[in-house]
Amino acid sequence: MSVPPVAFAVEARNLVKQYGVMPAVSGVSFQVERGEIFGFLGANGAGKTTTLRMLCGLVRPTAGSALIDGFDVFLQPLQAKARLGYLDEEPFVHPHLTGREFLDYIADLYRMPRGPARQQRTERLLGLFELAGRDGELIGAYSHGMKQKIGLASLLIREPSVLLLDEPTNGLDPRSARLVKDLLEELAARGTTVLLSTHILEVAQALCRRIAIIDHGRLVATGTMDELRAQAGAAHATLEDLFLSLTAGPESTELIERLLSTRK
Amino acid sequence: MTRSAVAIILRAEVRAWRNRIAGNAARTAGIAVLGGLSALVIGGSLFALAFFAGRDLVQLILAPVTAAEIFIARSLFAMSANTLAAAIFLTFVAGLGAGSGASPLYYVTALVLLAVLVLMVTALQLIFMAGVLKLVPARVARDVAIAVASVTGAGLYLLWNLTLRQSFAPRHTPDISGVLMVFQRIEWVPSAWPGHALSAVIDGSVAAALAWTGVTLLLAGAMVVVAAALYERTLLAGLGLLGGPPARWRRRTRVPVRASRAGAASPVLAIVRKDWIAYRRDIRRLSRFLPAVIFLVAYAFILVRPTRGLTDLFWNDVFVVTFVSLFMAMMFATPSIPGERRGIQLLRLAPISPWTLIRAKVLFTVAPAVALTTLITLAMSLVGGIGPLRTAEIVLLAIWLGVGCVCIGVSAGAIDPRFDSTDDRRSVGVVGTFAAMGGELAFGLLSVGSFAVVFVALQVATGAGFAWLPESPLIEGLLLFVAVALALGGVALVGFMLWTAVSRLRSFEGSITTAA
Repeated sequence: MSVPPVAFAVEARNLVKQYGVMPAVSGVSFQVERGEIFGFLGANGAGKTTTLRMLCGLVRPTAGSALIDGFDVFLQPLQAKARLGYLDEEPFVHPHLTGREFLDYIADLYRMPRGPARQQRTERLLGLFELAGRDGELIGAYSHGMKQKIGLASLLIREPSVLLLDEPTNGLDPRSARLVKDLLEELAARGTTVLLSTHILEVAQALCRRIAIIDHGRLVATGTMDELRAQAGAAHATLEDLFLSLTAGPESTELIERLLSTRK
Repeated sequence: MTRSAVAIILRAEVRAWRNRIAGNAARTAGIAVLGGLSALVIGGSLFALAFFAGRDLVQLILAPVTAAEIFIARSLFAMSANTLAAAIFLTFVAGLGAGSGASPLYYVTALVLLAVLVLMVTALQLIFMAGVLKLVPARVARDVAIAVASVTGAGLYLLWNLTLRQSFAPRHTPDISGVLMVFQRIEWVPSAWPGHALSAVIDGSVAAALAWTGVTLLLAGAMVVVAAALYERTLLAGLGLLGGPPARWRRRTRVPVRASRAGAASPVLAIVRKDWIAYRRDIRRLSRFLPAVIFLVAYAFILVRPTRGLTDLFWNDVFVVTFVSLFMAMMFATPSIPGERRGIQLLRLAPISPWTLIRAKVLFTVAPAVALTTLITLAMSLVGGIGPLRTAEIVLLAIWLGVGCVCIGVSAGAIDPRFDSTDDRRSVGVVGTFAAMGGELAFGLLSVGSFAVVFVALQVATGAGFAWLPESPLIEGLLLFVAVALALGGVALVGFMLWTAVSRLRSFEGSITTAA
């Protein structure tokens, strides 16, 4: 896919999402460079998924705009979506299709020409995710991990230039999770942009060049690990330490003590 | 005592086989059979959900609770639907008692025996489900049970309708005499035994009443014991916690790999292909679709039966074609977009416009709708002996109505979708349902109006005349103008609905995250 001459692959411009009077996301702005793996972290309910859904066009922002490869997701949806691959934390895969039929369906939806090249790509992906022997079975009979894998394969079959991934290693066994991590690094090296939302901070620290942390709908920090450490004033802190210090909340030791004291 | 009880039952069975049972006894037996069958059908789906579905069952299994305790608790819940069905038939039993001048003992016995009948039916459902679970995985077993219940229910309802007296005379009370006569012929089945007991009470035959009640209680007890034992064995398999789908099922669902042909990919055809594959494999959808089609064909058949004494079946056929088109659109087209459920997320992420989605859904639903309407039209023409020219006219009307109603139906579904609904029948909101009904009705009236005016214009043009209309080119021209205006009105209505649907889909932002 041809890439337009714009500086950023993903751009969130002052995104706001309000459900009634409840603000879910309040003025989130960041940019992701081409070929970068960008981490997007936050506690449960912090606004990660809403932000990702605004970026991919599933949720319309109350204010602000989202750009993919320079195309506004809501003003130029067809151009933006053609470049975008989004994996939900619980990806939907049609239960009454087989794995192969599902990949064919997605490839057709994205107008990938039918023929030997597409067939080969399908075979390679099924093999890569160890689904080759199960490709003729209905997805409804797949395990959670297998559904996650076919969801990932359905993104990769059409080679999008931008990937928005919400917990991509969710439900995967350690071997498959490692495969996904290696794959993301390889894709980024070849120019694919990855915006990764995860709760596994080790994965984020290992893969992401820059990280954004969202808390209560607001970005509280953005930058490389060194920049985040500087913001928190902790030179040797791990990402877990930084995350806990930047997202305010009762200390876990205090909570555990409180729980145990009620059991006495 | 046992020997005499057996002798009494045998004598009664022999009498039943020879159709010598008195009117009341046969009627009571028929009611009991019908009541039992209705309970089986009405309670069928709730039963499947009560015993083998629900995440709370997993919690119960993990908790220190025995399978027997779960069985008792779930049985009480499952019996609620069966009790409802039985309660309906209690009114018939009570009516029979009052008509026969039965003693108070009759009513007490009736209550006890109906409760026992409900217990027997619940046990039978469980035994049936255990058998199904041996063959198919739990997820599919539930759908199979619901499918069987739906098709049997539709069959029972049709049987009732087909055995009704064929007359449009006002009827103030529900008439089940026809269907009862059918069940009186199978009064030897165990579900008729409570009926025999009640007949014996009416006749004042204490020994027979005790014997029939005794064997009914014995049978119910045996069935409950068997059901409890089977439930204990199949509970885990039913929940799919252990074992997974049987190998036989896996082999059956494995689909051969076919090489895709080279060429350009079409999103419209991709959606149509996906729908076609998924619809055939979705037992739950088929279980709702098949009874509806059975009703449709049966009603069409009832409406065009020559015995109704109509002299000109042409306008009768026009009415049936309109009815079938509206019905098919409501059943097939309206839930087609909401039926995507969470799949709509994939479509919204894909670089396709709402118009592409609507085109695909219209393409998928228009073919079966028009095909079935045309088939029914041709069948009606054959039955009614309508000439080829008039048949061609009605087929044209069927195609016109089919396409229009499907477009309106698909649009109405897109206007007010409930993507988080797991049931197609509840997947369109109130606004969408009224838009579909109103739109299709208006389109039907405009189309049939146009068709009728063309028909009148042709009558006038050929000199045959029509009522008080004089034969003149001006009148013919005027009639044709009205016909075209009405047809254009229909087209405009379809266009408006499609435009509204596209706008609504473009701005849609509802709950699409929780549906299965």
